Amino acid sequence: MTSALFDPLQLPIRASLDRERERAWQRLAAAGTWWSGQQRLDIAAESRHASGCALCQRRKQALSPYTVAGQHDHLGLQSEPMVDIVHRLATDAGRLTKTWLSATLQAGVSEEQYVEAIGVVATITALDSFDHALGLPLRPLPPAQAGAPSRHRPAGAKRDLAWVATVAPQDLTSADPDPYTRHGNKNIHRALSLVPQEVINFFDLDVELYLKDHEIRDFDREYRALSHAQIELLAGRVSSLNGCYY
Amino acid sequence: MFAVNEALHGTGDAVGVVHAAPLIEYGEAMLGRDVARAALARDAVYRTLGPAALVDAAAIVASFNAVVKLADGSGIPLEELKAQATQDLRQQLALERLNHLDS
Repeated sequence: MTSALFDPLQLPIRASLDRERERAWQRLAAAGTWWSGQQRLDIAAESRHASGCALCQRRKQALSPYTVAGQHDHLGLQSEPMVDIVHRLATDAGRLTKTWLSATLQAGVSEEQYVEAIGVVATITALDSFDHALGLPLRPLPPAQAGAPSRHRPAGAKRDLAWVATVAPQDLTSADPDPYTRHGNKNIHRALSLVPQEVINFFDLDVELYLKDHEIRDFDREYRALSHAQIELLAGRVSSLNGCYY
Repeated sequence: MFAVNEALHGTGDAVGVVHAAPLIEYGEAMLGRDVARAALARDAVYRTLGPAALVDAAAIVASFNAVVKLADGSGIPLEELKAQATQDLRQQLALERLNHLDS
């Protein structure tokens, strides 16, 4: 259903936001650290497909998603454990558990692949949510770019904070991409730091969608067409609807 | 500081933020599946706050739909200082059950 008031294609998207959206689309299609460009696009495609999965809908309605067995409706592009990972991340991430993840990581998906998949699902979620929220049509996925994953695991990664290994800022080495200097070192920046480039990929986009780390509490200046109060009001409601504790 | 319960669960009328109601309705509509409601909500934000604000509102919805995947998928906890500072509020809103301290 289109608006009679405005053409979504003519809305004034900030140049910096437009640039990072385009870069995010390209990064989805390029080789990552543990997945090829085609595999990253397959994850993105499966993430989109999950919203129509009958099993995911039954699980979403259940008191516990772990009591509902069945087969996912999937595109046939990935292994069964990966389909389950992507569908759960896409449709019911708030009810993932450490127990589920431990079992999943013993089923043929590495911790590094899992962490990168989170980044891909988060990125396609952000890109598609933005388009939907403006009334723009769903954008086709771009063609895959050639190239091999770098397979770089940070030497300082430890499983001491989250369910997955992370890299504390002080444990980052010169061999690792550095997301912390660029985007801050809160826990949320550390969440995917087992794959540091994925942190950079996600937050390069996210700081243009939301705010840069130093702008969040700079109440002397407004950085957007919405005030800080309006931003936090909307962010709070969306987080609440998503069951986000963070 | 606006009324937190009203901000998270009400219509927005009583939170003391300019144009809170259309923003709240916009957030609700964008996360729902009702196409007509979504179109009306976009129009309301466009009409009351303007085109640039609609773009920024869409960006906030996108950001907070996505960043939750990082937190939930990795099991990263809230920083201890933040958790302590917001303990009462989190209990009031029953958010603590969602923090990744167990399971």
